[in-house]
Amino acid sequence: MTSDTRRTRDAAHRLPLEGIRVADITVVWAGPHVTQLLAEWGADIVRVEPVTTIQPYSRGAERINTEATYRNLGATGVTMGIPPDFNPGADPWNRSPAFNAHARNKRSMACDVRLPEGREAFLRLIEHCDVLVENNVPETIERAHITYDVLREVNPRLIMLRMPAYGLNGPYKNYRGFGTHVEGMIGHHLIRTYDDGNPDEMGDAFTADAIAGVMGAWAVTAALRHRARTGQGQQIEMPLAESFLPVIGEYIMDYTMNRRPTGPQGNRHPSHAPHGIYPAAGEDQWIAIDVATDEGFQALCRVLDAPTLAADERFRTAGSRVDHRAELDAAVGEATRGHDKDALFHALQAVHVAAGPVHNDLDATRSPHLEARGFFEELTMEGVGTHRYPGIFTKWVNTPNWIRTPPAKLGEHNREIYIDLLGYSQAEYDALCARGLVGTTYTPDVLAARD
Amino acid sequence: MAQMLEGIRVLEFATNVAGPFAGKLLADYGAQVLKVEPPNGDPARQAGPFPDDIPHPEKSGLFLHLNTNKQSMTLNLEAEEGRQIARRLIANADVVIDDFRPGLLAEYGLDYETMSAGHPDLVMASITPFGQSGPWRDYTGTEITLQAMGGPLHGNGAPYREPAKLGGHTAHYHAGIATSLAILLARFRVEAGGAGDWIDQSVYEAQAGFRDRRTISLTAAAYSGLSSHRQPPGSRTAVGVRPAIDGYVNILGGGTKRFGGFLDEIGRPDLKEHPDFGKQVHLYSPEYHEQVEGSYLAWLFETPKLEAVARTQRHGILGGAIMSTEDLVNDPHYRGRGVWETIDHPATGPLEYPGRQLILSESPKAPARPAPLLGAQTVDILTQLGYSRDALPRLRAQGVI
Repeated sequence: MTSDTRRTRDAAHRLPLEGIRVADITVVWAGPHVTQLLAEWGADIVRVEPVTTIQPYSRGAERINTEATYRNLGATGVTMGIPPDFNPGADPWNRSPAFNAHARNKRSMACDVRLPEGREAFLRLIEHCDVLVENNVPETIERAHITYDVLREVNPRLIMLRMPAYGLNGPYKNYRGFGTHVEGMIGHHLIRTYDDGNPDEMGDAFTADAIAGVMGAWAVTAALRHRARTGQGQQIEMPLAESFLPVIGEYIMDYTMNRRPTGPQGNRHPSHAPHGIYPAAGEDQWIAIDVATDEGFQALCRVLDAPTLAADERFRTAGSRVDHRAELDAAVGEATRGHDKDALFHALQAVHVAAGPVHNDLDATRSPHLEARGFFEELTMEGVGTHRYPGIFTKWVNTPNWIRTPPAKLGEHNREIYIDLLGYSQAEYDALCARGLVGTTYTPDVLAARD
Repeated sequence: MAQMLEGIRVLEFATNVAGPFAGKLLADYGAQVLKVEPPNGDPARQAGPFPDDIPHPEKSGLFLHLNTNKQSMTLNLEAEEGRQIARRLIANADVVIDDFRPGLLAEYGLDYETMSAGHPDLVMASITPFGQSGPWRDYTGTEITLQAMGGPLHGNGAPYREPAKLGGHTAHYHAGIATSLAILLARFRVEAGGAGDWIDQSVYEAQAGFRDRRTISLTAAAYSGLSSHRQPPGSRTAVGVRPAIDGYVNILGGGTKRFGGFLDEIGRPDLKEHPDFGKQVHLYSPEYHEQVEGSYLAWLFETPKLEAVARTQRHGILGGAIMSTEDLVNDPHYRGRGVWETIDHPATGPLEYPGRQLILSESPKAPARPAPLLGAQTVDILTQLGYSRDALPRLRAQGVI
């Protein structure tokens, strides 16, 4: 954020989803990304979260961890659960990077939809909402009796997005999985495996969550447009698995055309060579290089000061470079090894060779380009601190946009939602709090059961 | 039944993956999308895969997949008359998608400022590697370089060797969806009485905001001052990818609340009595790790991957199998749900494609029309613009179409 002067929008350039309210009963990663994106473009997101149980893998507080544990995890490169300054504090559920990365611009309401009092509040909320987003196992929604046929009776204009892993029917209906499991089950894990390696070397990726998040926001927006024209709400069923299939469409088509399954692809490209991740100076430092043409290869060799590479008969044409990919990659790697990745990046770009430094997380936060574009935003969470967060990934030239409110703490907006929005009296609200159904921490028995 | 995006008129001046996928999503759910191709066509037509590996501009699997439900005309924007035609097309469009290098639209006189004068409803979306501003604006970016800089590539793979990219054109597909989302949002505002806009989508920035670990790792880096690293294979007990008898599984057993069921299933209920049982996975002793892993691998050695998944899912354990595209296309779950759509195309005949992503209760997706032949609608469109059929040979001779 460089200045507040850009923080103005005229009425014609208001955020498109201003006035749209979304009930959010999503968990873990993909569903919360949908509501993150809807929130960024103006929707009022009401996150419905129990304080009477800890939803696993969401706010990251189901286990007790100490500063020492987090420091040990950090030392092994496992960072995604580490709270600010390694300090879990008294409220670790407000300090998870995985949660706080999506929870800005949202409101949080304590409510357990499985209990009668929670169900009552949830159904009142649905009356006030345009959209409901969920990504639970189908049987969870069925057991809670909050399927679309029930909710449309409460609000016929409701748009309900359901994002199970595999679908509302079929043999895998109630299969549980994160994005990493789903991307195995749709063929992506194998494709992203080293072309000379095995799937167990690749670790987890959560690509299915990333794709489903954006696609879910797309589906909700399309359905809102349809509703504005026809008055119809509807249910949208978008399994994580199926939202991902088009992203590997060309590989699927190779199978349906030629009955040829795609093996591991690693960093190879069907017609570009060199095309890969090559070593640079320093520990675990790398540069991506992608050469499509013979002129590009000659330019690369000049920058690397590698005349023998440039003159090698095996590497003279694109076809021959692809045929001798292994030798080529080894030779290019020897030539890049001593170079600083950033200096080489700029030198190669100057001669129009596609190259990019491999940015680890800290490199990425220091990107001068992202900085100049104002991508990162500083947010202050009371009691948690001031930190820089990844910002909004699409710019509209005439609609300045920014993160309006910091990540929502558990139950932070209970009062304004129960009383101002849902019309509970102060006495009714106090009674829910007194019974431990509404609050800003988990109930004592839930906390005591943690280990 | 009405489709969700009926009545939206889209012009697509875009090639390869990101822009065409943005356009495909709109076209598949009811928008009218005219793809304006350079005279020699979208380069995706040369990309394959091709039936029997025989290159043919009307048979590229990548192109056919990304351009369903669109129309095609050819137009040479290097020619002034081509640009004049483009201006008239844009004047009648609701949405324009382009992937030109920054500045080129302005050189053509087709930039947002020019085209939105008198047409404030116009939504223009420009997709570029680095966006319309910033120090690297004019740099070259491709799938692997943008994943490397923007995305979680550094975290993919094993610690003892180079990191690896995600599959195919993941970054460009993702940026395409992001662009298509922005287009729908802007159009929603226009239809509610607001203004159009110029959308500046950088693939690099879409990667920096990627929910596949990136935003989480960047937040964690801000919290801890640390970067995440690639993890050694097999380091977490009964978590991650392991070989089964006919392939690989990825099952989340160790350290979870359901680990007891996992141990029952692999025939080692006795390991529930071990003092490490119930701990977080990174706190297991090496001795417990060895015992669990030994029995798990032995069990997998005689268990097919999908059976291992089915048997652990019964206990509420998260997981999946590592499928190939062959497994996927033949899998009864996906087939039974109808995710594959057979589309007949004049050059290839009928083929199965990835079909709908969404099952919509009130506005279901209509059966797809195949991707257009190059320039299939050129004559129709020019005729609609008032060109006589006699003018077409001249436009062809002058290289305008």
